Amino acid sequence: MLLKSLSLFVLAGAAFLPLQAEPPSLIAIQDARIITVSGAVLEKGTVVLRDGIIADVGAAITIPKGAWVVDGKGLTVYPGLIDGFSTWGIPDGAPVAATPGGRAAAPVSAPAGTPAPARSQGPADRPGTNSWVTAADLVKTSDRRLDAARGAGFTSAATFPRPGLVGGHGALVNLAGENAGRMVVEPGIGLLLSMGGGGYTGYPTSSMGMISYYRQLWIDAGHYKLNKEMYAQSPATIERPGYDRALEGVLAAKKVFLPAAGPMQLERALKLAAELKATPVIYGAVEGYRMAATLKKTSTPVILNVKWPVKDREADPERVDSIRTLELRDKAPESPAALVAAGVKFAVSSDGIDNPKDVIKALKRSIDLGLKKEDALRALTLSAAEIHGVGARLGSIDKGKIANLVVTNGDLFDDKTKVQMVFIDGVKYLPPPETPPTPRGGAAPTAPGNETQEEVEH
Amino acid sequence: MMRLAWIALAAGTLMAGQDNTFLLRNATVYPVSGPKIENATILVVDGKIVEVGVKVTPPKGKIKIVEGKGLQVYPGMIDSGSPIGLSEISSVRETNDVGELGDFNPQLRSIIAVNPESEHIPVVRANGITSVMVLPGGGNGLVYGQISLMHLSGWTWEEMEIRRGAALQMRWPTYSMGGRGGGGGGGRGGAAGGGMAEAKRVHDQQVKLIQEFFEQSRAYQLAKVAGTPGLKPELKFEAMIPVLEGKLPVMITVAREREIKEAVEWATKEKLKVVLAGVRRPGKMTEELAKRNIPVILGSTFEVPLEDDDPYDEPFSLPGELQKAGVKIAFASFGVQFARNLPYQAAQAVPFGLPYDEALKSVTLNAAEIWGVADQYGSIEKGKWADLIVTDGDPLEVKTSVRMMFVKGEPVDLESKHTRLYKKYLARP
Amino acid sequence: MRILLIGAWSAAFCLTAGFAQDVTVIQNATIHTVTKGTMKGSIVIRDGKIAEVGEKVMTPSGARVIDAAGKHVIPGIIDCHTHIAVDAINEGSVSVSSMVGVGDVVNSEGKDIYRALAGGVTTANVLHGSANAIGGKNVLLKMRWGKDADALVFQEALPSIKFALGENPKRAGQATGFQAPGAQQNLRYPGTRMGVEDVIREAFLRAQEYQKEWKAYEAKKSKGEAALPPRRDLQMEPLVEVLEGKRLVHAHCYRADEILMLLRVAEEFHFKIATLQHVLEGYKLAKEIAAAGVGASTFSDWWSYKVEAYDAIPYNAAIMHKKGVLVSLNSDDAGGAELMRRLNTEAGKMMKYGGLTEDEALAMITINPAKQLKIDQYVGSIEAGKQADLVIYDKDPLSIYSKVEKVFIDGNQYFDREKDLEERPKQDARKKGLLEKEKETEKRNAPLSRRPS
Repeated sequence: MLLKSLSLFVLAGAAFLPLQAEPPSLIAIQDARIITVSGAVLEKGTVVLRDGIIADVGAAITIPKGAWVVDGKGLTVYPGLIDGFSTWGIPDGAPVAATPGGRAAAPVSAPAGTPAPARSQGPADRPGTNSWVTAADLVKTSDRRLDAARGAGFTSAATFPRPGLVGGHGALVNLAGENAGRMVVEPGIGLLLSMGGGGYTGYPTSSMGMISYYRQLWIDAGHYKLNKEMYAQSPATIERPGYDRALEGVLAAKKVFLPAAGPMQLERALKLAAELKATPVIYGAVEGYRMAATLKKTSTPVILNVKWPVKDREADPERVDSIRTLELRDKAPESPAALVAAGVKFAVSSDGIDNPKDVIKALKRSIDLGLKKEDALRALTLSAAEIHGVGARLGSIDKGKIANLVVTNGDLFDDKTKVQMVFIDGVKYLPPPETPPTPRGGAAPTAPGNETQEEVEH
Repeated sequence: MMRLAWIALAAGTLMAGQDNTFLLRNATVYPVSGPKIENATILVVDGKIVEVGVKVTPPKGKIKIVEGKGLQVYPGMIDSGSPIGLSEISSVRETNDVGELGDFNPQLRSIIAVNPESEHIPVVRANGITSVMVLPGGGNGLVYGQISLMHLSGWTWEEMEIRRGAALQMRWPTYSMGGRGGGGGGGRGGAAGGGMAEAKRVHDQQVKLIQEFFEQSRAYQLAKVAGTPGLKPELKFEAMIPVLEGKLPVMITVAREREIKEAVEWATKEKLKVVLAGVRRPGKMTEELAKRNIPVILGSTFEVPLEDDDPYDEPFSLPGELQKAGVKIAFASFGVQFARNLPYQAAQAVPFGLPYDEALKSVTLNAAEIWGVADQYGSIEKGKWADLIVTDGDPLEVKTSVRMMFVKGEPVDLESKHTRLYKKYLARP
Repeated sequence: MRILLIGAWSAAFCLTAGFAQDVTVIQNATIHTVTKGTMKGSIVIRDGKIAEVGEKVMTPSGARVIDAAGKHVIPGIIDCHTHIAVDAINEGSVSVSSMVGVGDVVNSEGKDIYRALAGGVTTANVLHGSANAIGGKNVLLKMRWGKDADALVFQEALPSIKFALGENPKRAGQATGFQAPGAQQNLRYPGTRMGVEDVIREAFLRAQEYQKEWKAYEAKKSKGEAALPPRRDLQMEPLVEVLEGKRLVHAHCYRADEILMLLRVAEEFHFKIATLQHVLEGYKLAKEIAAAGVGASTFSDWWSYKVEAYDAIPYNAAIMHKKGVLVSLNSDDAGGAELMRRLNTEAGKMMKYGGLTEDEALAMITINPAKQLKIDQYVGSIEAGKQADLVIYDKDPLSIYSKVEKVFIDGNQYFDREKDLEERPKQDARKKGLLEKEKETEKRNAPLSRRPS
């Protein structure tokens, strides 16, 4: 079984390499329907890509000399889709199942071959803190999941190292490139904090321990910074601070990415971010339909997990779920529309979804429930770019932006529509053959507020 | 207060005759079997109730008088299920003799392992509980053993014994989903993470084991009746004969509708005399239980509601709902720590729909009827044993104290480890 | 954000939104003030506070009048020891977990809040677990069901911290049963009661050092010397607050020996214990506890569930009370409001076990815990000026036959049994609707792409 899928991978990989040995640097897609996202739809227009940049777009564009032309008749061109919260590009970067806090939480064992880490006795041990790790250092063009992602129309992803309490710095990467370095669009988009993570043993084991731990970590970083500044001024009297890569990593954080499944966790996350004096971006938000007002009020962007919760097929059919759970399953797909209505900026995430195409299918369900297609598309493109600070370079079909495009034979959210090709940095990639190998997905989002209560001893 | 009661008793002892022959007078008597009688007298001779009423003719000669002025008399209460005497400190394994190894142990008799010196015994009886169905089982087995009915008074377990084998204790297999336990019933894990399919497999397998065991038992019974030569005696199967004959009741722990249905259908097919225990969510089976005259032993009404969506008073109102539907109910503590709170378990259901008289019955006469001893216990009636409690109020009310207790007419000490430590440390200078 | 949430929630959930700023009068009730006797009369509630209590009160026209003829009113019940309404109870990885706090993970949506409310509990002391000699920070909550986490917090209360003695904190340090010797290396100090004392003393010694470090820094700073401030240590800060009397200590304990130990350690480091929790052998040490001015919060009749509870007696509260200790009764509920639904009957038992009076029994779930938590100027009795946290019972509140009918917090009605009963069929219908809708949705939506087999 394993061997079979491996060989499929090899084939698929071969099929999805840029076809030309020397990709053309000047391309025009002519007479296509162009969804710019930033502006009006061009029912019949042309996009010109030059040296990886969108050189021109419009209804009446003269095809420059020497351009390779794509006949766009019957085709629709969209900005390349962006996965707002991902591990794509980091081989073996599929998230480890998050462990809930509490006494019951089993420490996640270290990968085979690495020695088990020492038990953390307290904050000073900096357990599970990988704040010096950056996704930009980890991405590889060889990540097998990139094929399927591009096949679904994704050209970029905000990708994060996952293991640990502090996973590391995320990077906005293109999902193809000559080499790993060329994939990176923006190396430091923010630091990922989890409320689980694992990869260490000992303190902290509970959600409250994690919150306290983050507090101490930021206090320590602030102290370290002060120490460095004072030392720089008076090296003779102030003790020289020892270099600390974990604290350096914290100080470098532009934003913090915090999980929040529902309004309660959101309240906690926002309080924590305020204490840390950090700009928060919320990820998860399965109960987004209940969080919209607060997110708007606090101008907090959110990366929505679109793996809509479903009924547990393994459950005892005679046990009826609670109203709260039923409501969550009913309402979760309405979250995008609720966020739009409240004016909350949001992107969507492939987190926990095996097949990248299912991200689009999930949004289709929201569209059926009243989400406007253009809002769904914006979440997949320009909003994601803006949230991650690359709105000037990605997310729409505008002159001067990076030439990341997806070309389809119809409406993106139509089931029958097929991705014909994608362009990344102006280079054309063809979709993999049907029945693509599916990348390993991560853990399904857990319902909010369901952290099991521990039994206590009296 | 307790001391005062004893002084009254001592003063009333006019004749140094038999301890279990006396006249309890001027009390309000609540016979349970009938309406209360004010200013009543109870004549007890040789431990048995000879007469109850306003006008009771004392026998000739001197007799011990127990003054009951201002006090109330009730039958002693019966806990329909507790491991009392078998379990001392629940968290210390060595002090627990509950739950023998193996799936089928009908031959075990709980009373022979009862420690008459258990500190729990005086503590529990101080609240008016005179007898207990002693549970042998709990945990992973299926047929746990024989429940003995015993008095909470006696020098040895033999003296405490009312019925060595009063019922057989077993549990019906649950669909255990690892962590989604279903209240009341013991569940054999095994299905952790396996989902419903695995839970059902484990459940079905256990049901099959039960069916096979009963088949084997029946084969043995038939062979014995037929006098089959060479039949080797088997303790397990011997113990099953009164069960199969429908003489010995089977107490089946089962909590929810689906499992109750399975258990009842099975027990009907096997023609067993069945009593359900630990019922929490009977659903549509409630009517069925009433129709088939299957009594139910309820556990603690104080538990939290089973499901998130359940009303806050779900466990409080279940007893009233069952009673209203016509199901005979009794209560069991199913433990030792809170066994003394048996009367409060019943009382808690009263404001939530259980009529008071029924609450009182559920811890006295109903229990005696269910366990087949109503001809001798459970109410204050002529001919029954004098298992009596004398109180300063309603015994189901938390404020009430039990002032005197008689078991088969013998006065019972109401002191316990708790009252001893109370007096000792109250007197600490 | 908070303001907005409170607004949204109260509109949806608070049964008397709109009445809060107006006047409510509870009339013709038997009023158990607890501190000022019992009377037949009325209570006037204005702006969330009790404006007047008496046999004859002035009732403004247009006030909301609740006729409570034949009913009983008591102050909202205060439960001095619970673990409800939080997503985490123990940070058990370390022996001193003073840096964590259950207040960070308040679960405002847990049904246990509503169920506690239905039992007449209006204030709950939510404690960290007992896994550590020095545990985490606690949080005092009002059962304002429907509000977000921050809005549940009893704002006026002092912060507090949990300690734990005896079997629980030493358990992680003991290899039990037939564990292989290899298991020894995973043990967490301490493994004995001696070690528990050591952990506490050592922690406070460190806290004193930490305090000194900061004082030295402040001194330097005030002299204008350039100095790097010490690193703020979240583990030490709460202990310094304890030393400075700014944080209450609630200490889980059972046996007389360990209780005495803690009283003496507190003396050594010059801090005070607010309450001994569980304190099941407190009756053996009532004299010393009373002399130390320490409160005791215990159970009515729990015993024998572990070795250190084998000498527990239901007369514990009565003996301590009679010997001058301030005593309260608590539920220790976790993961569901079990006892919280009927703490009134736990108090009622005290009339039997030790012969307390009605007022003494009621005090153990109202004014006494309020005093222990230093919130008695706000709640705990029915007196003019106090927050209008009130419970209406249909009968004698100390009787097992009584039922809670209405519960008010800050003058707002948060529980009404009648409304609860009315809501039940509506909830059932809602659930049925959701289940049917889900079935429909499942039929309509093809499953997402199949996983490869």
